[in-house]
Amino acid sequence: MTTSTQDKTSYRPDAIIVGAGIAGMQSALDLADQGLQVLLVERQSSIGGHMIALAKVFPTLDCASCITAPKMSASAHHENIRIMVNTEVRGIRTVRGTHFVKLFKKATYVNFDKCIGCRLCEYACDSEYPDPFEEGLGAKRAIAVPFTNAIPQKAVLDPELCTTCGSCARVCPTDAIEFDQQSEEVEMETDAVIVASGYALNSLSVKPQYHALQSKNIISALTMERLLAPHGPYGRVLRPSDGKVPSSVAFVLCAGSRDASIGVPYCSRVCCMYSIKMAMLLSGALPIADITIYYMDIRAFGKGYEQFYQNAKAMGINFVRGKVARIDPIEDGDLSLHVETTEDAENILQERRHDLVVLAQGMVPEWNPSIGTPVAVASDGFVATPMLTAPTSTTANGIFVAGVAAGPKDIVDTIAEAGAAAMQVSQYLHQKRGAAAVEYAQDPVLVG
Amino acid sequence: MSDNSHSTGQPANEDHENIVLKDDTEYGRQHEIIKQKQAEDRERAGDPAEPKVGVYICRCGGNISDVVDVERTAQIVGMVPGVTISKVHTFMCSDPGQHMISNDILENGLDRVVVASCSPFLHEQTFRGAVSRGNLNPYLYEHVNIREQGSWAHKHDPEGATQLAIRMITAAVGRLQNAQPLDLIKLPNHRKALVIGGGIAGMKAAAELAARGILVLLVESSGRLGGQLNERGRVYPSETMASEIVADLEKQVRNNDKIDLLLNSKVTAVDGFIGNFRTVIEGPFGPAGGFDKRDALVGAIVLATGYRPYVPRDGEFLYHQDPCVVTTPEFIQMMQNMDPAAKSFEYNGRNIRSVAFLHCVGSRQLDGVHEPQPDGTLNKYCSRTCCSTILQQALALRKRFPKIQVYDFHRDIRTYGRGEEDYYINASKEGVVFFRFNGEDPPQVERTMDAKGHLPRSRKAGPITITVKDMLTWGEDLAVPVDMVVLGVGMTPSPIQDLIESIKLPTGEDHFLQEVHPKLRPVEVAVNGVLLAGTAQAPMNIQETLNAAGAAAVKAAAMFAHEMVELNPFVASVDSSLCCGEGICVTQCDYEGALQLVEKEVDGQTVQRAEVNAGLCVGCGACVPVCPHRALELNGWRLDQFESMVDGLMADIPHGDCQPELVHLG
Repeated sequence: MTTSTQDKTSYRPDAIIVGAGIAGMQSALDLADQGLQVLLVERQSSIGGHMIALAKVFPTLDCASCITAPKMSASAHHENIRIMVNTEVRGIRTVRGTHFVKLFKKATYVNFDKCIGCRLCEYACDSEYPDPFEEGLGAKRAIAVPFTNAIPQKAVLDPELCTTCGSCARVCPTDAIEFDQQSEEVEMETDAVIVASGYALNSLSVKPQYHALQSKNIISALTMERLLAPHGPYGRVLRPSDGKVPSSVAFVLCAGSRDASIGVPYCSRVCCMYSIKMAMLLSGALPIADITIYYMDIRAFGKGYEQFYQNAKAMGINFVRGKVARIDPIEDGDLSLHVETTEDAENILQERRHDLVVLAQGMVPEWNPSIGTPVAVASDGFVATPMLTAPTSTTANGIFVAGVAAGPKDIVDTIAEAGAAAMQVSQYLHQKRGAAAVEYAQDPVLVG
Repeated sequence: MSDNSHSTGQPANEDHENIVLKDDTEYGRQHEIIKQKQAEDRERAGDPAEPKVGVYICRCGGNISDVVDVERTAQIVGMVPGVTISKVHTFMCSDPGQHMISNDILENGLDRVVVASCSPFLHEQTFRGAVSRGNLNPYLYEHVNIREQGSWAHKHDPEGATQLAIRMITAAVGRLQNAQPLDLIKLPNHRKALVIGGGIAGMKAAAELAARGILVLLVESSGRLGGQLNERGRVYPSETMASEIVADLEKQVRNNDKIDLLLNSKVTAVDGFIGNFRTVIEGPFGPAGGFDKRDALVGAIVLATGYRPYVPRDGEFLYHQDPCVVTTPEFIQMMQNMDPAAKSFEYNGRNIRSVAFLHCVGSRQLDGVHEPQPDGTLNKYCSRTCCSTILQQALALRKRFPKIQVYDFHRDIRTYGRGEEDYYINASKEGVVFFRFNGEDPPQVERTMDAKGHLPRSRKAGPITITVKDMLTWGEDLAVPVDMVVLGVGMTPSPIQDLIESIKLPTGEDHFLQEVHPKLRPVEVAVNGVLLAGTAQAPMNIQETLNAAGAAAVKAAAMFAHEMVELNPFVASVDSSLCCGEGICVTQCDYEGALQLVEKEVDGQTVQRAEVNAGLCVGCGACVPVCPHRALELNGWRLDQFESMVDGLMADIPHGDCQPELVHLG
């Protein structure tokens, strides 16, 4: 690992955005459209965050790729935005209002300046492993472009899986493969930072009584998104254990939220709606399948969401109010759900069978900025936002927050918050720089 | 980019032959005729080179290609006169897809591009961008929608959808034959903002813009800033006084040299367009504070007109029929005004010992269950904030008067926000009793009667009885006598019909102002330069309102980043050499000021000629067909383009035998 205090160029962005999911991209675009220089830093090999992996979005049922890919493309092509992927923020120190952001550029073993994204290396590689973009369902090579519509279209080599056979280097037309590449730490100076580090889902095994690790047919919500995506791993909905077309699918809500026993007492805000959405998509993909949603409260609170929920009910999706107490794998890969319902006095404790179960896991923070940066987190682990009238301010001056990093929220609320954070940055910079900033017309507004 | 590595290997469709209408010889003859006609057109236009059209067909991951045979479509349109490249991609809108287009333009000298994909609403701009990056004028581009109008609409007719796709693409290719490069219309940008509404959304938007150095005119119709928050006490989840939040924002907008604050004022007229809105403000500008009108010229308008609490109909849950039934805002006011030292809750001459809160009053209404609003519609939406408001109030009431029994009647508890779930948990812990009802089976609120059907003599029984089929006790029918009922009323949009009409704002089924895209563009409306902040768009809580206001402000700030506004070039144009100044077109124009007769010097004589104001023209085309001299054309939609489009649409479709360049991509 090499360290340098300054990037090789004299590039100094007006703002650095941590995370290039939908929140980070929206903030970046809203700042860049004002003529400000933005550096968008992403830990993964592509920008796009979770949203690019979703099937469709509620309540519009727009295909997620179709509305995320243009945002990715707009960010990548914006003259005022630079993107660093495979890069982690390792710390921020603030000296007299200037933030020094420590960036750890992970070795990709591919020279991005040379790589043309032709994928010849990928086709030549023999080492295959479960594709993380497909939630482990498809296969991926040890050297590969992250996914079809990834940005940038650059191959990345995974040293854990590489057998160093050298086939990739032999076929690369531009000699871009560099087995001796080193990770690098650089420090970048800037005036403002937006934390848009997003979320992770809590683990499938967070509730041991659901036995999720004992059955391939208990899947995460993101896995179901991939199964439903038109370009997903199988191109259709099949259950992972044996490739059977499922005939009875259960969605278990609050399987990782609103549950003090697992340390996530809060509501994750999106699970009701994404489960309803996936139930609707499933009933289109598998018209004869039974689809059941087990819930405590249906929280369809956003614009158009309640109507979406009522439509799902009218479509024949079963909504059963009851907390699923236990899930047991049974014969043929099927699953037995023990449910306490509140609807049938004669039959309170029920055992119901399904052949595929989707757990609506909760959202937990992806990154804890309180380690290594002046940004504090609240008791729920998400970034603390102490200013009542400026919800995107953090405990650190000049560092702002957008999206799920400041607590679970859906895409539209994330987009609004990303805009609000960008506005705070632009006015913060304006105030900080005073006369040097853009001057607008100052003649009186009212005339006549 | 060598993307052309793996073929999908799809077998040719068996119905392939059906699409051929004429034999090859016939087609060859037609081909020649069309080519000849195109050459003549080009000759006339002074550009004799044969156009090179690239056609790009998107699979949309399967959204299109599961129905439309895109490979066959590409093969067939590849043989249409003028088409030199015809390609397929899984996601044309992705970076590799876009890159392929710009690369082909540069490397193969394409001078016209067609993309057949989803609705132009989604991606027309995306591909204009890709075309620009290939150094080609972005208006030499044609977008064909084969998803919403093709694969999705004709899911069960793949062959029909494929033929439709081919026809639509050939029509677009035809239209492009006579397309001309166009430039964006650039007009001055008045970089000042008008914010309508002085609640927290309006104040926040104004404060943010002012802090960015932008002049703001903040107009509030009442005499006071703060809007609905003035009616609130402590607010969730921070438990601060609403007045503190109002005061903080008020401090930012008052005595701010960038903000012109106008109270007791109204925006009475708006016309113009982005960067150039002419607005009329009525306010106390006259001598001695008398009302008078003044004009303001602004570049952007932020609508922060907010909401009004739902007012139940007379008799809805006994509202206005029994004084013991009140709404949440009324209850909050009651608590606010209560003597802090009060040991008991006295109301309407009674010592209140039990209070019931009823959720979803005026929200989540269902067909056949709830009575429609006076305009015949139902408030089908969730008002988002009532659950937390009710639980906050229920909890506060229990804590203040532990002897008061508090009941909560809900359908779902929607305490979704950060810190809101705690209210639910704590209300349960503090002994609030919950009842749950199905939406189809709302509780009945009635005056308490004794067994003989009379009002009870005893002062002990609560005067109001709520009967409910309670789902928490597996559907038991319960009757709960209470002293007071609090109706958890939702939000309804503020009455701003005048503004809606003068700005031509779209509203949704729920009557709130309608955003451009409910997922991606929540603060923009179809009228460029007009932005939405807060509950004018949809119910939201304080934090969400402030975020929406910030998002609206950032869009305005971005609009003001440039000295000129850029408008799309699809406006009418007048050929002065053909215009006779009769003015028939002007009488047909619906947009005031868009088309006018002006005096011009022609051959030493002063004559009248029609002239278009590009900023006001919406490109509707109403003027074009009425001109007897064909002096008017709509840029981008010229009559000869329509003709060549019809030629393309009607031309016979070639055989799929000969092989043009056809590449299968990822």
